Amino acid sequence: MTLSPRFTLTVGILATLCLAAIIHILVVLSIPRNVQHSAYDNIASYGTDRQFNLLPDVKPGQEVLPDLDPAMKHAACRFQLDDGPVLFDASIPVSFWSIGLFNAAGEAVYSLNNRTAGAERLSMLVLTTQQLSILRENPPENLEDLIVIETPEPISGFALLRAYVPHASRAEEVDGALQAARCGTI
Amino acid sequence: MSETSPQPRIISGETGWYETDLPRVIRPYRSHPLRTLAAISLVLAMASLLGISSAYLVIEREQPLDAVTIGPWHAYPKAGTAEADPYSVAIYTRGAVIPLASGEGLALVAREDSAGHLLDPTCVYRIAGQTPSARLWTLTAVDGRGDLVETLSGRVHVVSQNLLRAPDGTFEITAATAPHSGNWLPLAAEASASDGLRFVLRLYDAPVTTGAALDGVSMPVIERTGCP
Repeated sequence: MTLSPRFTLTVGILATLCLAAIIHILVVLSIPRNVQHSAYDNIASYGTDRQFNLLPDVKPGQEVLPDLDPAMKHAACRFQLDDGPVLFDASIPVSFWSIGLFNAAGEAVYSLNNRTAGAERLSMLVLTTQQLSILRENPPENLEDLIVIETPEPISGFALLRAYVPHASRAEEVDGALQAARCGTI
Repeated sequence: MSETSPQPRIISGETGWYETDLPRVIRPYRSHPLRTLAAISLVLAMASLLGISSAYLVIEREQPLDAVTIGPWHAYPKAGTAEADPYSVAIYTRGAVIPLASGEGLALVAREDSAGHLLDPTCVYRIAGQTPSARLWTLTAVDGRGDLVETLSGRVHVVSQNLLRAPDGTFEITAATAPHSGNWLPLAAEASASDGLRFVLRLYDAPVTTGAALDGVSMPVIERTGCP
């Protein structure tokens, strides 16, 4: 027997739509894995890992990373927890600063600002659960004062430190504070 | 000739089934390999075209799905976290965007004015009202792709701490290419309507960093006051 042309057409259109939906989902899901330049890769071009690198000022036409605030200065630090715990230490004398921790996929892991940090000084330790248990056997004396961020897996990622520049005359001071910020071993 | 004239149909033996004047449903099916191949390739080609182009359009629009909307403002509190939907994951990783994390603040984007018209960088806008409580906020004008643009003053943003405010705490900002008295947010110096315009309001250290807390907060209105 032969199918009527209308039935064949309907089946064809349905098949096309179902297949199109599957392809749509596959394309959307495959984009994150096929991105050429993630934020994690881009940051590597501003200096070596495990130290805060000052990003150039956010100005029209020379934006280093998309979607940054022109009212802020930024410093970024790439780290890999496989190489050991990372200690962030910074003292920035402005009314607002914040730090965000992101994994290599660009997802926020942890974030705080100078009010939630509870102190004028940022001292934050990022390590894996395993590294923390090793560290507890022989704790450094200031461990109690640190903000300790524990991750189950040894993640690779980056930290972005944002500091508000209240006035252009304070820009150099903020630059200095961001350059002096530490991102390294304990 | 008499042989070609219509004859009463006599089905004799197997060959009779291939007569073309049999009703369609009982006519035997003979497959045409080329036609089947053509049909399958057509379905595949159309499906790929539809699937890829629809994915491209959704990603290129750069508007994650789970937006929290307050008037003309949209916020994507979950984008850039582990709970983000696949579309915003694709959009954010493709653009290498580092979002404002919840402990830092919240970014709200406006692509349209309060009347629902697309923002146009050649027009003059009045942004007035109040923002949710935040220790600091900045308002930045960017183009349709989210990039900063050259302005007459070299400044592309206004900061909450430097604003002139009414006694009741509300403010009024004029967004225009040409300088204005009061709070002036400079727009692109040389822009055409097709460049697009977005306003980005970043609230720093704001209690409203989660979607639920955003219900019922008051956000500034965006009114178009004039166009060339």
